[in-house]
Amino acid sequence: MVEQNNMDMSIRIAHKDAATTASTSPSTTLKAEVKGLDFWYGDNQALKNINMRIDESRVTALIGPSGCGKSTYLRCFNRMHDLQDNTRYGGEILFQPDGVNILARSVDPIEVRMRIGMVFQKPNPFPKSIFENVAYGLRVRGQKNRSEIADRVEQALREASIWDEVRERLEDMAFNLSGGQQQRLCIARALATEPELLLFDEPTSALDPNATANIEDLIHRLKEKVTILIVTHNMQQAARVSDYTAFMYLGELIEFGATRGVFTNPAKKQTEDYITGRYG
Amino acid sequence: MTLNKNDLRRHLSGQFNAELDAIIGQVQSMGRLVLDQLRDALKALELNDGELAVQVIARDAEVNQLELGLDEACRDMLVQRQPAAGDLRLVFAVIKVVMDIERMGDLAKRVAKAALESSGAPQRQFGSTIATLGASVLALSEKALAAFVAFDGVAAAAIKQEDRLIDERCKAITADLQSFIAEQPEATGGALQLIWAARSLERFGDHAKNVAEYIFYAVYGKELRHMSDEERAQWVAAA
Amino acid sequence: MQDTQAIRQLVLRGRRRDAIFAIIGLICMMIGILTLAVLLAGLIQDGAHRLNWSFFENFPSRRAHQAGILSAIVGSSLVMLITAATAIPFGIGAGIYLEEYARRGWVTNLIEVNVTNLAGVPSIIYGLLALSVFVYMLDFGQSILSAGLTLALMILPVIIVSTREAIRAIPVSIREAAYGVGATRWQLVRDHILPYSAGGILTGVIIGLARAIGETAPIITIGALTFIAFLPASPITGDFPFISFEWLESPFTVMPIQMFNWLSRPQAAFQENAAAAGLVLVVMTLVMNGTAIWLRIRFRKRIKW
Repeated sequence: MVEQNNMDMSIRIAHKDAATTASTSPSTTLKAEVKGLDFWYGDNQALKNINMRIDESRVTALIGPSGCGKSTYLRCFNRMHDLQDNTRYGGEILFQPDGVNILARSVDPIEVRMRIGMVFQKPNPFPKSIFENVAYGLRVRGQKNRSEIADRVEQALREASIWDEVRERLEDMAFNLSGGQQQRLCIARALATEPELLLFDEPTSALDPNATANIEDLIHRLKEKVTILIVTHNMQQAARVSDYTAFMYLGELIEFGATRGVFTNPAKKQTEDYITGRYG
Repeated sequence: MTLNKNDLRRHLSGQFNAELDAIIGQVQSMGRLVLDQLRDALKALELNDGELAVQVIARDAEVNQLELGLDEACRDMLVQRQPAAGDLRLVFAVIKVVMDIERMGDLAKRVAKAALESSGAPQRQFGSTIATLGASVLALSEKALAAFVAFDGVAAAAIKQEDRLIDERCKAITADLQSFIAEQPEATGGALQLIWAARSLERFGDHAKNVAEYIFYAVYGKELRHMSDEERAQWVAAA
Repeated sequence: MQDTQAIRQLVLRGRRRDAIFAIIGLICMMIGILTLAVLLAGLIQDGAHRLNWSFFENFPSRRAHQAGILSAIVGSSLVMLITAATAIPFGIGAGIYLEEYARRGWVTNLIEVNVTNLAGVPSIIYGLLALSVFVYMLDFGQSILSAGLTLALMILPVIIVSTREAIRAIPVSIREAAYGVGATRWQLVRDHILPYSAGGILTGVIIGLARAIGETAPIITIGALTFIAFLPASPITGDFPFISFEWLESPFTVMPIQMFNWLSRPQAAFQENAAAAGLVLVVMTLVMNGTAIWLRIRFRKRIKW
């Protein structure tokens, strides 16, 4: 197991290369493997024995009715539940290429969050300038070199397709942007630190259709660079943006497969009933 | 996940259920109309009933009207409900099947036209053969339509086999008519009409077979069209 | 078909009640405001003519027209300095700890209830506590240091509570955003919690200090003198190391005690002195509260959630 407290890019890139050569199948590489994942809020078991493989450079969507545990599941990946008292994980999530079990007690959640970025339901920029929002992840990692920070901020803003809209006003407060722009800014903030996995928690539920289309396009482009896991309550969105879809119900993973198959011919009755809007 | 007819009425939205029911009902009435058309056209051909043939030709407009109505219903369904899984396969199948049924209507009209123009020796010699072929095609098409309305994938799979026999019989009739023309060139006109009628019946059967294939797809999510015979047998056995 | 007439009647009745309540509310407000205004007017009438430079420059005196508030103002300022220097860091620190670090549990709940209750404890109780702890046990004497610490203790709950309120106003989503990019708890506090809650915290601090500056009872309890005709030793000296902490141990008086002293004199001239000193005290408090309001508005404008 590799302890990775410092985000050393050269080491990370080396890891990525190693992973590509050690690929299990020619087309896809495993990015994370979920094995027997359980999760408890106090005595209440919210996730039950989830097993799943997450492929690198692919978009995996999590769908299911409210309260099915999809967001809870997503938040296991960057140990967000550690912020709450009285929560407990079981099983493991093996993060590749180094095989670290990111749920292990010995692994610092900060270390996990350094490798796995997250974009939230409601755009949540800091009440700081546009530039500082994107630069924050770098500052947290102790980056001091100003020109390097400026370069990375620009790169991240470009990747998040918002550079052209903000290049003239980097010192403006982030709150002056529109909702869709704020969400892309939050994506840029997550991208600036070059995460290996990017978690999206219903990223467009607070946005209008145009802004939603922008974000969906962005997700499509980003998957070349970063593995994406997205929770959405919008099934059409899952069908549009994802390569794989997982259907969850009452804390269990009911069905997991290629998105096209899940939406045209699901294997399980519960999945069919959910995506066609029937009584369970 | 196999599509079951009972599932159609289990949506949370009662309106959705009603709309799906209505679409299936419309396919059924359009199919019935087309089968009636063929039945009448065959009768006109057999009895040399020009009046009936003219009626058939005129009624084809009704078939086209039903097609337009169904197209609209399917478009509405797509835009309003964004159907998924079994619903999606069903609406997709309906969209395809409507085209086939409309073509079947055109072919019935074609047979009626042949009835208007065929007469004399070819009719006396081949009339009954064609009537028998027509009866088989009608029976096959009725089965296909029934399978569609009942979401019966197994019955649909069987239809494919039957259609092959019809194709072979049609080929034989055509060959016979061709040698008839060689022997009696003066009856070429009437014989050509009969060849047209036989061809139309064969193609009518092909479209009926398509109807069966689409319901098979809607029910199982599998393409019957490109399945080998053994695979099909396996599916039918499993179902 | 609804009866239009009946609806109109209903609306009219509602409107009338609205108007009645508005008048009652206005009367309540006017009673409060007018009382204050009369009080202030009385003070001005009595004491305004005593406000001149010599009043600020003179020590207290047996001759009323020569008496001034120099030692009281200096005493109040120095006591406030000690209070601020101790209460602000401890209060904010405790508030942040309770909000960000402490695990939820019965201990935290107990502390929470106690902190809230402490804010309501009568100030004289703090005076008694300070007398036994600061003056005798720790042997700080009846000094500026003891007084400052006493008042600090008294306003600590106010600062803790307002710090916690200010921190709680920061949405969870901001915390998640910071943790999401890999921030540690300290980075979150330093870069986000403190800057975004500064307005609320400062407001609490100033309100606490404004309360402390007018406080009399605990100061009397620990033994502030009422007649001081000298200033504490200067904190800056001519000799190395140029800074002296001797003033901490100096006896002192503060504004409200000076007022109290003058008020207890029979002569009318001293009553006028008391009114003038009261005026100064009221203005000081108003300025502090005004600053608090201004800060709150400024910070609100800058941060929108």
